[in-house]
Amino acid sequence: MDNLGFLFAANVFVWGGIVYYVYTLKQRNRALEKDLDLLKETLSKEG
Amino acid sequence: MNLFLSQITAIVWKDFVTELKTRELFSAMFIFALLVILIFIFSVNLSIVKASEVGPGILWVAFLFSGTLGLNRSFVLEKENGCLMGLMLAPADRTAIYFGKLISNFVFLTVMELFILPLFMIFFNIDLLEHLLPLLLVIFLGTLGFCALGTLLSSLASNLKTREIMLPILLYPLLVPIVIGVVRMTGQILAGEPLSEMMNWIGLTASFDIIYIGVSIMTIDHILEE
Amino acid sequence: MMNPDAVEEKQEEGNVLIWLTGFALLVAMIGIFIYVPTERTEGVIQRIMYFHVPCAWLSFFAFFVVFICSILFLWKKDREWDIYAHASAGIGVVFCSLVLITGPIWARPIWGAWWVWDARLTSTLILWLIYVAYLMLRAQSDAGSMRARYAAVLGIVGFLNIPFIHFSVLWWRTFHPQPKVITNEGIGKGMDSSMLATLGLSLCAFTLLYFLLMGERVRQEKLKDEIDRLKREKLYSS
Repeated sequence: MDNLGFLFAANVFVWGGIVYYVYTLKQRNRALEKDLDLLKETLSKEG
Repeated sequence: MNLFLSQITAIVWKDFVTELKTRELFSAMFIFALLVILIFIFSVNLSIVKASEVGPGILWVAFLFSGTLGLNRSFVLEKENGCLMGLMLAPADRTAIYFGKLISNFVFLTVMELFILPLFMIFFNIDLLEHLLPLLLVIFLGTLGFCALGTLLSSLASNLKTREIMLPILLYPLLVPIVIGVVRMTGQILAGEPLSEMMNWIGLTASFDIIYIGVSIMTIDHILEE
Repeated sequence: MMNPDAVEEKQEEGNVLIWLTGFALLVAMIGIFIYVPTERTEGVIQRIMYFHVPCAWLSFFAFFVVFICSILFLWKKDREWDIYAHASAGIGVVFCSLVLITGPIWARPIWGAWWVWDARLTSTLILWLIYVAYLMLRAQSDAGSMRARYAAVLGIVGFLNIPFIHFSVLWWRTFHPQPKVITNEGIGKGMDSSMLATLGLSLCAFTLLYFLLMGERVRQEKLKDEIDRLKREKLYSS
């Protein structure tokens, strides 16, 4: 009974899924932080 | 308490009068249920499958689909001319609005189901008359559960932009337990089993009804709040 | 506004959590692939269990958090609880999806079919549908008190549905002949202590991962709120 292929596939899905999720989270947070900084900067220049 | 009851009756009465004048909802629900049954008869080969095995499932799918049609109307109708605002401005309890809507939805759906049953009997060649009482109990439990949860969620969905799409998506997964229960019970009843054989399902559907009516009473204030 | 010291302290806490989670996951991996013995009847594929069960546990835990936060939101009407419920539901759906993916991969070699209408797999699918609907509801309504209230109601209604789903699906299947299913007795019996230890370790690692993801997810919502607030302030002041 050798099902290494299935075990491998399951691992790819689990770790791939988790890493992808963390990656998108980080990406989104970075973009939001950038937006926030930009907004603060423009506001302070105007005000 | 008396005031509360008269508030509920007023809402139910209003719905009945509207329906009796227009008759648009009832006829639509009835024809739609009939169509669902017909489509299922075409998609299932009745010469291979036993009618009493697929019958209960088809019957309940027809009830649920046409019931959703009714639920979609129930709060949208109020939304259209700002009637819901009027209802909420009226010195009525929010719970009374929920119960009023629950009762009128329940009565519409039950009446429609009673009209469908004889047709189902003829189409599937199943004799329902000998099991009529237990069958009515199952229909009561199932319809009440459907309307308890459905009224709550349709009051919620009526405020969304995509209400007709969202109501079934929100409602159907939550209805899975009750659908399994009533289909199973209807099948057992048609097979001639006594009610005592299915006490676990009766308990499940009855507690579903009670818990969701309770949850709706507790949360309806948060939904009908502008 | 937080003062800089507090921000730094918070970041340090976050870093500790990251390292701790990474370490726990690494140890769990070593346990899963090197330490734990291969199961006799199912062979190497049984090692999927050490991700499958923790993913299921994590998603269930996440949905429980949604339930609690929804109640607290309706009670206190505090945006904080709404954020927690939203974040937790998203994480729960991600891990529920992983359960639904690894389940069939495990089932295929063992039961001989990708999908078996087994009680647990079926309930997980229904649970997934409920919380996807929850996220859709959130995505379709505009930010504000209405969205939070509606989502909270659905969070409560959805979680209360779980016992009903469990029993109905269980009884639904018991009327049919069963393929091989993991029963409650089977899990405890068939496992020796090294397997239980590995599973426990993996559970801990995934629970830490949940808190890590929660932190990120909550931060994201708060950043969005902050941007919204600044924009609105500017709009009304000019």
